[in-house]
Amino acid sequence: MRAHAEPTQSAPLGPPTAWFAAARSHALLIALSLLSLLPLYWMIVTALRPENEIFSTAPWPENPTLDNVRRILDGMPLFRMLANTALVAAASTAAQLVTALLAAYAFARWRNRWTRAIFGLLTLTWLIPAQVIMVPNYLLVTSFGMLDTLAALILPHVASAFAIMLLYQSLRAFPEELIDAAITDGAGNWHILWRVIVPNVRPALASLGILLFISSWNDYFWPLLVTRSPDSAVIQIGLQMFFTQEGNQWGPLMAAASVASLPILAIYAVLQKQIVESFLHSGLK
Amino acid sequence: MTTGILRPSRRAVLLGLAGTATAAGTGFAQRIAPPPTSPVTISFYNYNLATANIGAEATRELIAEFMAANPNIRVEGVPVASDQIAARVQADVVAGRIPDLAQIVFSDLDFIVSNFGVRPLEDLIPQDEWAAHTQGMVPAGLRLGMLNGRTYGLAYVFSTPVLFYNANLFRAAGLDPDAPPRTWAEVRTAALRIREATGKHGVYAEIFSSFDWLYQALVLSAGGRVLSEDRRRLTFGEPEAVAAVAMMRDLVRSGAHPRLNPAEVSDTMYSGNLGMLLTTSVYQRALLAAASGRFEVRAAAMPAFDERPARPTNSGSALVIMSRDPAKQRAAWELMKFATSRRGYTIITSKIGYLPLRLDIVDDPRYLGDWTRQNPLIRPNLAQLERLEPWQSLPGPNYRQIGRIETGALNEAVFGEGDPARVLREAQQRAQALMPR
Amino acid sequence: MANVLDLPARLGALPARRRRPLALRAPWLAPSLFLAPALGTLAVWIYWPLVETFRLSFYEWNLLPMAPQVFVGLENYQRLLELPELRQAAWNTLLYTVGLLPLTVALPLAVALATRDARGRAGAIYRALIFVPMMIAPVVVAVIWRWLLNPEHGVVNAIIRGVGLPAVRFLDDPGLALWSIVFITGWKLVGFSTLIFAAALTSIDRSLIEAARLDGATEGQIARLIYVPLVMPAIVLLGVLTVLHGAQWSFVYINVLTRGGPLQSTTNLYYLLWEYGFSSFAIGWSTAAGMLLFVVFGIAALFGVRLMNRSDARPR
Repeated sequence: MRAHAEPTQSAPLGPPTAWFAAARSHALLIALSLLSLLPLYWMIVTALRPENEIFSTAPWPENPTLDNVRRILDGMPLFRMLANTALVAAASTAAQLVTALLAAYAFARWRNRWTRAIFGLLTLTWLIPAQVIMVPNYLLVTSFGMLDTLAALILPHVASAFAIMLLYQSLRAFPEELIDAAITDGAGNWHILWRVIVPNVRPALASLGILLFISSWNDYFWPLLVTRSPDSAVIQIGLQMFFTQEGNQWGPLMAAASVASLPILAIYAVLQKQIVESFLHSGLK
Repeated sequence: MTTGILRPSRRAVLLGLAGTATAAGTGFAQRIAPPPTSPVTISFYNYNLATANIGAEATRELIAEFMAANPNIRVEGVPVASDQIAARVQADVVAGRIPDLAQIVFSDLDFIVSNFGVRPLEDLIPQDEWAAHTQGMVPAGLRLGMLNGRTYGLAYVFSTPVLFYNANLFRAAGLDPDAPPRTWAEVRTAALRIREATGKHGVYAEIFSSFDWLYQALVLSAGGRVLSEDRRRLTFGEPEAVAAVAMMRDLVRSGAHPRLNPAEVSDTMYSGNLGMLLTTSVYQRALLAAASGRFEVRAAAMPAFDERPARPTNSGSALVIMSRDPAKQRAAWELMKFATSRRGYTIITSKIGYLPLRLDIVDDPRYLGDWTRQNPLIRPNLAQLERLEPWQSLPGPNYRQIGRIETGALNEAVFGEGDPARVLREAQQRAQALMPR
Repeated sequence: MANVLDLPARLGALPARRRRPLALRAPWLAPSLFLAPALGTLAVWIYWPLVETFRLSFYEWNLLPMAPQVFVGLENYQRLLELPELRQAAWNTLLYTVGLLPLTVALPLAVALATRDARGRAGAIYRALIFVPMMIAPVVVAVIWRWLLNPEHGVVNAIIRGVGLPAVRFLDDPGLALWSIVFITGWKLVGFSTLIFAAALTSIDRSLIEAARLDGATEGQIARLIYVPLVMPAIVLLGVLTVLHGAQWSFVYINVLTRGGPLQSTTNLYYLLWEYGFSSFAIGWSTAAGMLLFVVFGIAALFGVRLMNRSDARPR
């Protein structure tokens, strides 16, 4: 397509193409939005259908009912699982933020070849797939007697190279004069970190926090390995247990899937802007 | 422990370990404690609980009834799917969480017993109690819980291969539902007729699961074996076994046997879209319930290879006491007794579909009497109870890996592109390397 | 790698570059304290396990504490490399990775370029909507698609049958199952990738483009000479992430939807490790396959990190 080289004032493209480009943009984005949302819509519609309408392909339920929702709330400790997930995600996020902050401070504050070497080694851990080290990790958890506990889900995620790397980038960009000034004032490292740096990197911490929380919420492999009972299961594993048991009971399956997704979608509705931003600025784990 | 289960070097070590364990545990011929007077809680690893289709509800009912009658015993049912239960027991034992009572599939029994210090019931249970309880149980069933002449597990739920068929589809295809196919050749013809006349699927044989009992029955029926008599050599790549698989492949290629997702086969049958399903008798209840009012389900015996009579195997599981604590052992034994009592089997047979291992309850009006009258389907099944071939477990510490190779090759040979004989023979060679030497 | 644990201690021998009063007395103390929580955690849960994985890969063992670990040298590696399953899984891993690239890089880039003028309120709404799949837990995603793609009753097949075509067995056909899983994995990521490219494109100086147009540059030339270099870092970032993690992202879908079947057609290396490790407890095989994966993965990762550094794609 050859664009005319006529200069235009406001529209980025020439008038005929501008209209076309805008229509094309909207069409593409609407299509992509539908692709993203229709599967979720179908999940909710199926969840609301009574049993004898499950296989219907009508775009909405003729006789919507909450029977499926009631049934899954009786059949599995769904709220308990959601609470477990929130607790694990919150605890590991908080722990990772603290350990990453401390480590990133050390790397930013004492730059020499030893800290650089350690940083390099830390970076490497980000690249080790969980399946490679799952056997020793499992043995470790069992030797601590922590199988089937929430602690087993949190402890390995008390620190992550990913969080350290990300925070280090923020801290490295932190103006050194401010630190120097604080040092001249006789401030200790602890003071500098919490009183000088933290207040200034709050946005970065918030972004990282959101990111860590969501990725912990979506964590699957490790909980799969160390969870045993529905009462100590996070939502994904709980759902999987339920799915295995229910086979192909689509109504209850979709009801469980819908109810399990509601909290995170509600959070998303409120924090949508911040969440999207934090993902965009960090890549994904 | 049967011979050749472990390599000599390792066996020596293990026997040594087992020896010390036995000495420590049974120095004074320790048996289970007397019935509990204070509360005891036991864990019960159970696979029926894990799947709605095969009796989760009935098993919960069984446990609840037991607890009501034994207020001092609390049972925590742990649902684990049947194909994962041995792995789960293993992973949990590694973690020091030893199940108190576990429902162990017969094919895993040897491994569990050899590796987890399970003690024979003859040692645990006072003789008179044992004799009193097992009286009237089918001897062929009881034998399946035995290894080297000692009973490590009490036979619990027990199923046989059944060819379920949709009589409505038979009629629609002009077939006589009163004369179901008896041989695989007849199955093929009937399946193709169903497909042509109704557009539904013809026949599915559930031989492709990670449990090879039905596959073994198919191979036995064709005159082959998957494992040599002395249990040292794998033989699933030998010509007779290959012939059975080649027959299956031909069913698939002809269009008589669909390529379905194993997880969706039973649903396809439930929804009336499958003519015949060769599977375990356990699905009977769920199938009858699903078909009720929509189509008629009937059952026939496992098809034969022409004139050679079919040789069905059993599937199923035994209850194994794994706890080391005498009080919990007692509680587990009480639950075992209830689960395999006349009342227990009444629940299991009428509400799930397994065979009762107590034949005296079948016509007894206090137990299954009424039910049997309404469900005559059970009679031919009971008749084959005595002539079932035992399902061979695969030997050695690598038995699961061997099983994976075996069923992987079966799938490849039936549904894949390669030459079945070569696929099976190569897999047999690879798996043989993992056999105990 | 073995002396990782000594490093904090060895720091003591070295003067820190910026000397401070406290640092003068014990220059290693402060950095060590600050690094200890993170390093300790990673040492316990990653470094030591990696060393242990390496050791176990030379043994035959079934994980049971009472079963002996039998030293078998390189036998595990040898058997693995002869195994058709491993070759198939390695090939599938490659297919997953390559198959995902169009969904995480090419398509999102094309959409972002074509819609680069959608801004303002409408643009924000679209961004919010196409990001939603990223928020849905993978197990939920798996079960939704299992339902949508169900051959008998799924709505996708209802549509396909509606236009007169035969139903497609998306997850049961060995030729299709892997691609179905690639699609599902990509479905969760495509909106996210599009947003990354969109963000990269908004940073472009529009006067530059106006100027180019004035000079008679074609749209194609503008795209090639202005847009592509500017989004290059994002391309590299998403490309590297896909290569490093693509096969890993698919794990949950494989485990929930196909368990590696039919006919091993969806098994990848991660899933194979999981099966050897915790389904058949062939610990030697699992750890040996893990080490092979680690080495291959490590090389790819180092290459990727270098590429990212060069293109300066590290997000900031």
